[in-house]
Amino acid sequence: MKGIRVIAIAVLALTAFTILAARHLAPAGYEQQFRESPQAAPSAHHPLGTDDLGRDRWARLLYGMRVSLTLAPLAALFTTVLAGLVGGIAGYFGGWTERCCKLLIDLFLSVPWLFLLITVRAVLPLNVSPEASVTVTFALLGLLGWAASARVICSGAKDLMKSEFVWMARASGFSGLKLVRLHLLPNLRGALLAQFWISIPVFIIAEANLGALGLGVAEPLPSLGSLLRELQEAVTLRPEPWRLLPLGVLIVVISSFQVLLKKQEVRI
Amino acid sequence: MLRFCGWAALRVAAIMLLASFTGAMLMRIAPGFSSDDQELNSGLSAQSIQAIRQAHLSDANIPRFYAQYLASLVRGDLGTSRSLNQPVKDLLRERLPVTLVNLAFALAVGWLLGFSLAVAAQVWNVRILTFLGNALSGTFISTPAAALALIFLLLRWPPAFAAALLLFPKIYRYTQNLLEQSSEMPHVLTARAKGAGPWRVLAWHVAPIALPQLIALLGVSISIGIGVLLPIEVVSDVAGIGQLAWHAAQSRDLPLLVNLTMVVTFVTVCATLISDAAQRGLTRSAA
Repeated sequence: MKGIRVIAIAVLALTAFTILAARHLAPAGYEQQFRESPQAAPSAHHPLGTDDLGRDRWARLLYGMRVSLTLAPLAALFTTVLAGLVGGIAGYFGGWTERCCKLLIDLFLSVPWLFLLITVRAVLPLNVSPEASVTVTFALLGLLGWAASARVICSGAKDLMKSEFVWMARASGFSGLKLVRLHLLPNLRGALLAQFWISIPVFIIAEANLGALGLGVAEPLPSLGSLLRELQEAVTLRPEPWRLLPLGVLIVVISSFQVLLKKQEVRI
Repeated sequence: MLRFCGWAALRVAAIMLLASFTGAMLMRIAPGFSSDDQELNSGLSAQSIQAIRQAHLSDANIPRFYAQYLASLVRGDLGTSRSLNQPVKDLLRERLPVTLVNLAFALAVGWLLGFSLAVAAQVWNVRILTFLGNALSGTFISTPAAALALIFLLLRWPPAFAAALLLFPKIYRYTQNLLEQSSEMPHVLTARAKGAGPWRVLAWHVAPIALPQLIALLGVSISIGIGVLLPIEVVSDVAGIGQLAWHAAQSRDLPLLVNLTMVVTFVTVCATLISDAAQRGLTRSAA
């Protein structure tokens, strides 16, 4: 098991290096077209061939990984902050505030997440700029993915509020922000960090799903999801197995995350 | 019991209303809501085009649309789909069984695979079995539903099996964690030290502790199953609720989307509530 964890760390480190050095490793920019060689097979110039528009697939894969793997942690950070706020407020105040927050949490948990995401993304315009689409996509992931984490944080905050040291702190005159800053936040840090790490692979997968359905990042900006759209041309999949590489990369990267998160609580 | 049922019904109703109202509001603010492809049809008369515009305008006021929708819902009328020009009730009658059959298949196969592999790994404690379970679950938990659906489409395998494979890792990992945690409890260790066999330990000492949480997982897996089936139905062109929801969102079909949100929310909230109640009952009887 230790060996597998080492491999997972190595894979993630290699991925991080690759996306940081994308500019040097890619033979061209992600949007540069080689019009004389569209749909080219892998060669020394184009290690993964070119797509229908003559863009280098290897370059698009590198920049796509950069987009997905940079923005997913940002979305995870956003969702963790939201979960911390809602869950923390519910656990801290209790009573009707907790009931209202829990109703909101239940609302978000009841409607299947992907259904909500597809609906919300589908009602947004498709003709937005690539930068806006990538921001909207990941902001939506962050905005809609907080509920499960909020439930965990709420339960943790509630337990803390009942603990002896918090009672003692309150008896000593601690209240409001001071109590939150000195007693709640430091003790909830572990749960918040766990939720942050758990959210990253979930968001990468969610973006990939949206991208494969054509609702992810707009062209010409690549992401792991938008690269999966090439799979839709299933007729040409058999003679061109290298089109499966983005999916393979995605599975390897997410599996590495999962191996490292194995000891964390499995989000169901 | 009566009080619990009353609260549960109230909760289901509140969540359904809130979810469908939010869906309607999102649809209203979406670009292209007030336009219709049919307006470009040169074969239609000016009066027909005017009538189409009027129909869209009547939906523009969401609170009024929602009040009218609820009033007709009480009478059993779910309205008419604007894009498909068919009563929503008929559409649901056609599509819902398809999704439910696929969901039942996915749940049955996902649970069979996940649960049996987790139990086998726990009982026999063979390294290769654990490795196989972890490798398979790691692969499928890392695969986007839409991508797996595309691969299944290419291989001409049933789409419901793709949903089952995506459900399997959640069930396997959670069951494995649960069984591992339960097996480390003092009374289980004592039973093992006294010579009880692995199956006996599992049936008499581990299962009673794990059962309430497994029932909760069953409820949650229904919700996950629906979420997984939606993109699979879209990609595989399965005539179910997922494909209909996709169509409703793309064509800004407000009556259809509101009803679908209601149905999906109803199924998931009921599944969660029933499993919660069963879990609570089992925990209480065990105590």
